[in-house]
Amino acid sequence: MGDYFERLLGDPTSFHDAPYDEAFRLRRDQIDRLQLEGARRRFAQLRPAVSVLDRLAAEQGIESIEAIEDLAPLLFPHTVYKSYPISYLERSRFDKLTRWLAGLTTTDLSHVDASKVASIDDWIDLLEAQTALMVQHTSGTTGKLSFIPRTKAQWRETIVHSALIIRDWWGRNSGPDILRDGMPIIIPGYRYGAGATQRGNSIQVELYARGEENALFLYPRARFSADVASLGGRLRAAEARGEAGILQIPPILLERREALLELERTRPEDLRHFFSEAQRRFGGCDVYVTAMWAVLYDWAQEGLDRGLRNVFGKGSVLLTGGGKKGKALPDDWRERVLEFIGFDNIYEMYATSEMMGLCMMCERGNYHIPPIIVPFLLDPASGRPLPRRDGTTGRFAGLDLMPNTYWAGLVTGDEITLSGWETPCACGRTGTHVVPPVRRYSEQEGGDDRIVCAGAPEAHDRALEFLAELST
Amino acid sequence: MSPTDESFRVPLIIRGRIIDEPQVEHGGRRGGITFRAPDIAKHVGLLTLRTPSLMADLYSVSFEGILDYLVELGARLDLERNPHVQQALHLSCITSGLSESILRHHYAHLGALFDRREMRAMAERSCGIEYLEGWVDQGPSLFGGLTARTRAFGARCVHVIAGNAPIVSALTVIRNALTRSDALVKLPSNDPLTAVALARTMVEMAPEHPLTRHLSVAYWKGGDEKVEAAIYDPRGVEKIIAWGGFDSVKHITRYLQPGIDLITQDPKLSGTIIGKEAFADEATLHSVARRLALDIGAQNQEGCVSARVIYAESGTNAAGIARANRLGELTFGAMQRLPTWLSTPHKAFDLSLKAEIDALRLGSEEYKVFGGRSNEGAIIVSQEDSPVDFSRSLACRVGNIVPIDSFETAVRSVNSYTQTIGIFPESLKATLRDRLAFQGAQRIVSLGAASTMQHNMEKQDAIEPVRRMCKWVTEESAEAQLLEALAT
Repeated sequence: MGDYFERLLGDPTSFHDAPYDEAFRLRRDQIDRLQLEGARRRFAQLRPAVSVLDRLAAEQGIESIEAIEDLAPLLFPHTVYKSYPISYLERSRFDKLTRWLAGLTTTDLSHVDASKVASIDDWIDLLEAQTALMVQHTSGTTGKLSFIPRTKAQWRETIVHSALIIRDWWGRNSGPDILRDGMPIIIPGYRYGAGATQRGNSIQVELYARGEENALFLYPRARFSADVASLGGRLRAAEARGEAGILQIPPILLERREALLELERTRPEDLRHFFSEAQRRFGGCDVYVTAMWAVLYDWAQEGLDRGLRNVFGKGSVLLTGGGKKGKALPDDWRERVLEFIGFDNIYEMYATSEMMGLCMMCERGNYHIPPIIVPFLLDPASGRPLPRRDGTTGRFAGLDLMPNTYWAGLVTGDEITLSGWETPCACGRTGTHVVPPVRRYSEQEGGDDRIVCAGAPEAHDRALEFLAELST
Repeated sequence: MSPTDESFRVPLIIRGRIIDEPQVEHGGRRGGITFRAPDIAKHVGLLTLRTPSLMADLYSVSFEGILDYLVELGARLDLERNPHVQQALHLSCITSGLSESILRHHYAHLGALFDRREMRAMAERSCGIEYLEGWVDQGPSLFGGLTARTRAFGARCVHVIAGNAPIVSALTVIRNALTRSDALVKLPSNDPLTAVALARTMVEMAPEHPLTRHLSVAYWKGGDEKVEAAIYDPRGVEKIIAWGGFDSVKHITRYLQPGIDLITQDPKLSGTIIGKEAFADEATLHSVARRLALDIGAQNQEGCVSARVIYAESGTNAAGIARANRLGELTFGAMQRLPTWLSTPHKAFDLSLKAEIDALRLGSEEYKVFGGRSNEGAIIVSQEDSPVDFSRSLACRVGNIVPIDSFETAVRSVNSYTQTIGIFPESLKATLRDRLAFQGAQRIVSLGAASTMQHNMEKQDAIEPVRRMCKWVTEESAEAQLLEALAT
């Protein structure tokens, strides 16, 4: 225990491959020390190199973190990772977008020449080819994509981290040791892309499945396109305002329209292939499945309709989260998913794109915040930190100490209730935990004009439909 | 007791009868207020006028008689003496986005809207008083022996009104009376008491008067299908006048069928075009900034007439951007000095807008932000020729100045969602007005005059709701000889 704590204190990034159950045995005073020293260190390290953090610190007049409260004013509004003007995308000013992103990371982007780049997908690929970055974009369901400057090394750490969570969450070595033994992976989604649910695919294929032959994707050749996601988000926002008719379609999407629509055409065949392969190659096997709940439900329903039940082995695991994403699901949606997959070893998480750490749900139904995330609850109106009292509800904000090349400290758009400051969760784990439900403030503030934040694949699909409807 | 602990009662008023049985509780919008109102389901059969012949009593009153009635009503709306108006103000102070100083000004001048000359002009411009008063000969036709006379008749209408300013309720009452229509006003949850105050005052003033008997006001939760299916029935309703957002209008369209006409007064946004002349000298720029501050800041930018995106022909080279920034700085200063009856820091600054402004200030070199630290409002100056990505959400006294090389960019940005465009100088207005109209603009004003609205009371965003509230009935004559000739 002493070694574990000292190691985290020395380097919070080491949390990624440390035994996960240990994290929730730390004492309150250890967590406080880890967080204060970690925040101090990250701030001192990143401020000189991340210009946006430097600007915020100067504006707030904060030179160093003395007490943990000093950290709260240094958390970015979540809009910072999408603070580029959308005209950069419309006018293909990817050189400017690169400069903008450079202000958010210590990764050197100065040698990148993106002036010839025409699309977001190409830009993301260029950065991956020429720098240490492996940029992730968000789903953009509110009309604009965020770009998170995560590195290749951090993605690897994330995938290793997930495997250790699966191994240790219900107790040390209680789950399969995927890194040691390997495991087939089943993903009812896109093989390629830079969204949250595709970015780690290649590393999962390598570290979990140990080869493409041991992996099955719903769309094994297709890419979840950032350009299409961007159009999808803007389309959804415009439709919600009744203004879809005046939406400008980026020329690059019109040029590549045929290639994008190819996906639409092969979809029924992909679906058929996916289910037959799931049964033929992996039926009865212990597998690793990951997808958001809303996607899982669609998949399960489709499988059940095809007469498939209890498809996988009892030792399989499912990593999931994301709630219902605004979708209207029947009351028994969870049971339907379990009926289809045939196992109930479920790891459910609450996570934020900008952070690497995940908050896992315990047997009491609470999401446990790992000790390397410094949590705050802010007053939704004033933005000031609320007292650290159990059962307090407010806007979730926090700093994840794991990322060491960008500032993973931000104010989210989520309303949550936090406990565990005074009394630990009844499950026995120490530290703070989120008591569900998690709600989006945007759903409350929007009133009549609210835009429902539905799942990313849907916005993506809607954009493809929209492109298909355009007359050629 | 904090204001939000208060419970308000919203009575149902049907044709002069006040039903004040607080049976159902409703949640409000801003301020977290609740109010109690009668159970509308019990009275739904009486809300609309199923017997059209009952419109006849309105024709026993002359147009001058209507004006007499409205003028007297206006006199009784004195904020100092009328408890109903006082209560409406009190509730609005909690639910409205406007500050108390601005609301007080509105309610203190509520009666002034009932100005005889203005109301007469409104009727004259929209319908023509002679058409409201009688049958007007339509002149000779192509075929000799055919003549016609037309008269504007009132219709049985449901008004789904907006609650962002009390003027909406007052205008609805005036329009209903001038056109001799029958109105059921669906009260908005963010201002349920202003229309009630008007109706109550009418009942106290002249309980049996036809104009009193042809106004009902009611609250029901928008979307209550049981209630709405009964109300939006062509046997009792001929026209629906719907204010409000996409969702609320979209939702009404499901009740449309032959026999029901929908007049939408959808939400619009307004903007500004400032020509290069503004930058001629420092004195001119100061004057332009003061006028621009009016267009952005008046009514705390809560109105559809409020300017949000401002195209300025400053040029986009370094000197041009500097000029635009100077205009931004001056405008922000001028906005802070606006009188408090017209404009104040916003009492409920939009938090998601605040997050957008913070992100620009920190994360982007493409914008210069004046203000925006708290709730004081802000002027964001784009450093390139495009608006901020959240331009549709600009509110709470936040304007975005966009530097351009030529006003062509500004003209292209105008579409049918654009309402008012403030322009400087006057000569540019004359140059652009036709083209702006082609693009979709509906009202073109001198910079600074966006919220004066004196000539827009009945035209309302080129929609002409007053004229459209009427049924234009024609009575035609043909000589017998002509008709007989046709038959042989």
